Amino acid sequence: MGAEQKNTVDQNRINRILERQETRMKMYLSHCVHCSLCAESCFLYMSNNRDPKYMPSYKVINSLGKMYRKKGKIRMELLEDMKEIVWKSCVLCQRCYCPVGVDIPAMISLARSVCRSQGVFPGFDEAGNMESWL
Amino acid sequence: MIIAERKPLEEILGLIDGFDRILAIGCGGCTSICLAGGQREVMELSGEIRSKLAESGKKKDIFEYTIERQCNANFFVEMDHMVKDYDAVLSMACGAGVQFVADRYPYVPILPALNTTFVGVDKDVGWYEESCRTCGDCVLGETGGICPVTRCAKSLFNGPCGGTRSDGTCEVDPNIPCAWYEIFKRLKGQNRLELITKVRPAREWRNQTRRTVVQEPYRDRYEKVK
Repeated sequence: MGAEQKNTVDQNRINRILERQETRMKMYLSHCVHCSLCAESCFLYMSNNRDPKYMPSYKVINSLGKMYRKKGKIRMELLEDMKEIVWKSCVLCQRCYCPVGVDIPAMISLARSVCRSQGVFPGFDEAGNMESWL
Repeated sequence: MIIAERKPLEEILGLIDGFDRILAIGCGGCTSICLAGGQREVMELSGEIRSKLAESGKKKDIFEYTIERQCNANFFVEMDHMVKDYDAVLSMACGAGVQFVADRYPYVPILPALNTTFVGVDKDVGWYEESCRTCGDCVLGETGGICPVTRCAKSLFNGPCGGTRSDGTCEVDPNIPCAWYEIFKRLKGQNRLELITKVRPAREWRNQTRRTVVQEPYRDRYEKVK
């Protein structure tokens, strides 16, 4: 949780961020054909025993996809859950390959921006250690 | 990882003097991980600037934003529409990031809030140590994994020099070990001490120009672009 964590979300700010790239991102979300080729190109998926939670398609559908589905009406708890997905399950190495051209890193990056706008980002855990990016 | 430190507040205040609307941008890459220029540090710096200015009855409009990387064009989409509304951009990226931002937005002054210090390793939270000078001519395979360029005060490719103290420390600073004595001990422990007698030609340090790397599988691709 970020140092400046708030308990309520700024709905307007989330919507402004989502709306700015809405056309492009909704096109990406609708173009995913669930071929799972992106999974094969994700080193985290491959090195975590092919855990489906590391599939790039899972990550975007359950972060940015949910944000658009909920039309930006997101509770702080959900943003905290998404933080785990967009930071701990993705290092933004940009190596994920999509045969239909879905820009998966751009989607994860936008989901991170929404989280950041509400003060949700990796910080220190209770033991004083930096939350790992991995 | 690239390690950076924040510039003194007074220096930053001097840089932003004369600009009323400032976009302070953090970087979610290396400078975030080394606790110098991430989102938290952007908020802290902005707060300090506002407080300092308030003491003297001044005020500036500072907007904080953090993008995932300031060294990669793919992550600038969200920022592109913002920059034109500000008098200056205060970047909390490394020197590479600052230049990347400056090249992307040449019409607005880009100001560095950090000093990029070295390529290093994490010793502990908030504690980093220089490990590589990116000299482009790695000899670690012959020096027991100890970099003489980084850890020898004279960056000698062939050592030790005559300044090694009897206790194995460096003549420049008795608190640091002689890199070449450390190399000697490491190679001896690996039964590869003959490597220390190998003479390596001096590196050409002068007249260095900007370096570019294109990995071998991509050379055809970028050759066509040229």
